[in-house]
Amino acid sequence: MGRLILRRLLATVPVLVLVTLGVFLLIHLVPGDPVEAMLGESQDAVAKETLRRELGFDQPLYVQYVTWMGHVVQGDLGRSVRTHQTVLDNVSHRIRPTLELAVFAMLISLCVAIPLGIVTATHRNSAIDSFGTSFALFGICMPNFVIALLLIFVFGVTLHWLPISTFTDPFDDPVAGVRSLTLPAITLGLALSAVITRTLRSSLLETLSDDYVRTARAKGLGDWAVVRSHALKNALIPVVTVLGLQFGTLIGGAVITEYIFALPGVGRLVVDAVFARDYPLVQGVVLLITVGFIASNLLVDVLYGWLDPRIRYA
Amino acid sequence: MIGRQRWLFVRRALSARFALFGGIVVLGVMLMALCAPIISPYDPIKQDLGAALATPSVVHLLGTDNNGRDVLTRVIWGTRISLIAGLTSVAIGVIAGCVLGLAAGYWGGPIDDLLMRLVDAVLSFPALVLALALGAVLGAGLGGVLVALGVVYTPTFARLMRGQVLTIRTREYVHAARLLGGQDWWILARHVLPNTATPIVVQASLSIGFAILAEASLSFLGLGVQPPDPAWGSMINAGRGYLQQAPWMVFGPGAALFLTVLALNFVGDGIRDALDPRTRF
Repeated sequence: MGRLILRRLLATVPVLVLVTLGVFLLIHLVPGDPVEAMLGESQDAVAKETLRRELGFDQPLYVQYVTWMGHVVQGDLGRSVRTHQTVLDNVSHRIRPTLELAVFAMLISLCVAIPLGIVTATHRNSAIDSFGTSFALFGICMPNFVIALLLIFVFGVTLHWLPISTFTDPFDDPVAGVRSLTLPAITLGLALSAVITRTLRSSLLETLSDDYVRTARAKGLGDWAVVRSHALKNALIPVVTVLGLQFGTLIGGAVITEYIFALPGVGRLVVDAVFARDYPLVQGVVLLITVGFIASNLLVDVLYGWLDPRIRYA
Repeated sequence: MIGRQRWLFVRRALSARFALFGGIVVLGVMLMALCAPIISPYDPIKQDLGAALATPSVVHLLGTDNNGRDVLTRVIWGTRISLIAGLTSVAIGVIAGCVLGLAAGYWGGPIDDLLMRLVDAVLSFPALVLALALGAVLGAGLGGVLVALGVVYTPTFARLMRGQVLTIRTREYVHAARLLGGQDWWILARHVLPNTATPIVVQASLSIGFAILAEASLSFLGLGVQPPDPAWGSMINAGRGYLQQAPWMVFGPGAALFLTVLALNFVGDGIRDALDPRTRF
């Protein structure tokens, strides 16, 4: 197991270097002068020159990269040109709502997808299977911003059951917090539950045709006992992988969900930074999100090796 | 003979579940895009504030928006942006991905290592976050979005192409071509590329729908086509503020977007089944 972790960590190093290079070059892709783009015509020449020097634009590109990397490895991801707050400060203030939203969405998606995946696999080609597969297709093809607006229209605007653009931290006020996160979490969880339902259904169908399942049936075990004690545990392995890999989808979904529901999370921070043309903030947040994504993929790889020993020795 | 093969391919593709429905909808969307100036009942840009927020009726089948523009007309014109975005961004991904995958798979060694680490690095970014960041630096507008989505789709095709080339380059006919003195570019173009087409076509057909969704997401956030030009994502965003008074501003383009992506998925499944019959069983 230790060797697997070491192998995966070593494979991550060149990717991380290339990712930092990509994020660093992002600001240099801005057509024309990035400082002009950030400050516009409102600032005087002195302010522009100061920012240019602060960002190191007066240095050759490779010197800029080495300097920037030196700061990054010390935890200095730069600072916002608008608020002058560091990227880490910005993200640490915004990470909590995003994590709460992601956990809530994940819980909702699992509560929907696991029963639905089991029922559609055990009742193949029945009406409930058709319903489950249609639901999965709906969740995959329906844009999450349309789902969000549909939910706001029905539960917020028409029925007035749930708040639509206020955020309360569930740790401060559990009832108001859960109410404020319900619609965003359903929005984010629906696409995820569609993917998990599809994965679990196909994985369970494959497992249910295995010899050991047939043997369990031949021993006289009931259908549910076979699924619960024999098939489900093995069928859940690909689901773990999919869950880990969906981190990127969750973050992408969080950008739009937080934007629509005005949640003060990291997704909203990215959108605000993009519109404020606050490129150092965009750079820093994108780098942090990507490192988080790489770490989650690494964790899934290791977890997968732990769950399935064949991977460890491959 | 070729005509008969094509006919068999179409029949096989249409026999997949809902592929016929998907094909009809996609054909309808393409016709709408092509004939938008002829079939749309009103001007998509011209404002008529006297008719603002009119409910759906015989005069305005999907109602009007806050500027009095006919929503159906703008949905029809929006098909052009969506199809251009879906087809062009996937085409960029296919071309760039195939070139990278061909080079990595055929020459191998350090070129393969370098290109594949590059592909891994691009895949390490969450797709929408990468598209958003690229769209932000390249500037709002369709061009920036197309390039951003093209970059997002490139690694998928590069990996797919590399895998195919790794298998094909060991075949006897490639060795034979090399022994006959064939240049690398000629072997790649004449013997390798044509034999890698099937999975690329399948993946491309399945990606178009998701590229349309991604473009709509970026337009919704304000990075795609800018108002007053009609794009489904920006139309939905504009309707957000009028959800109570004029929900049709959101649900008209929303339904068009959902139906198009759903239909493209069915067509993609059909093409996959026709080209690779094993997936049907």
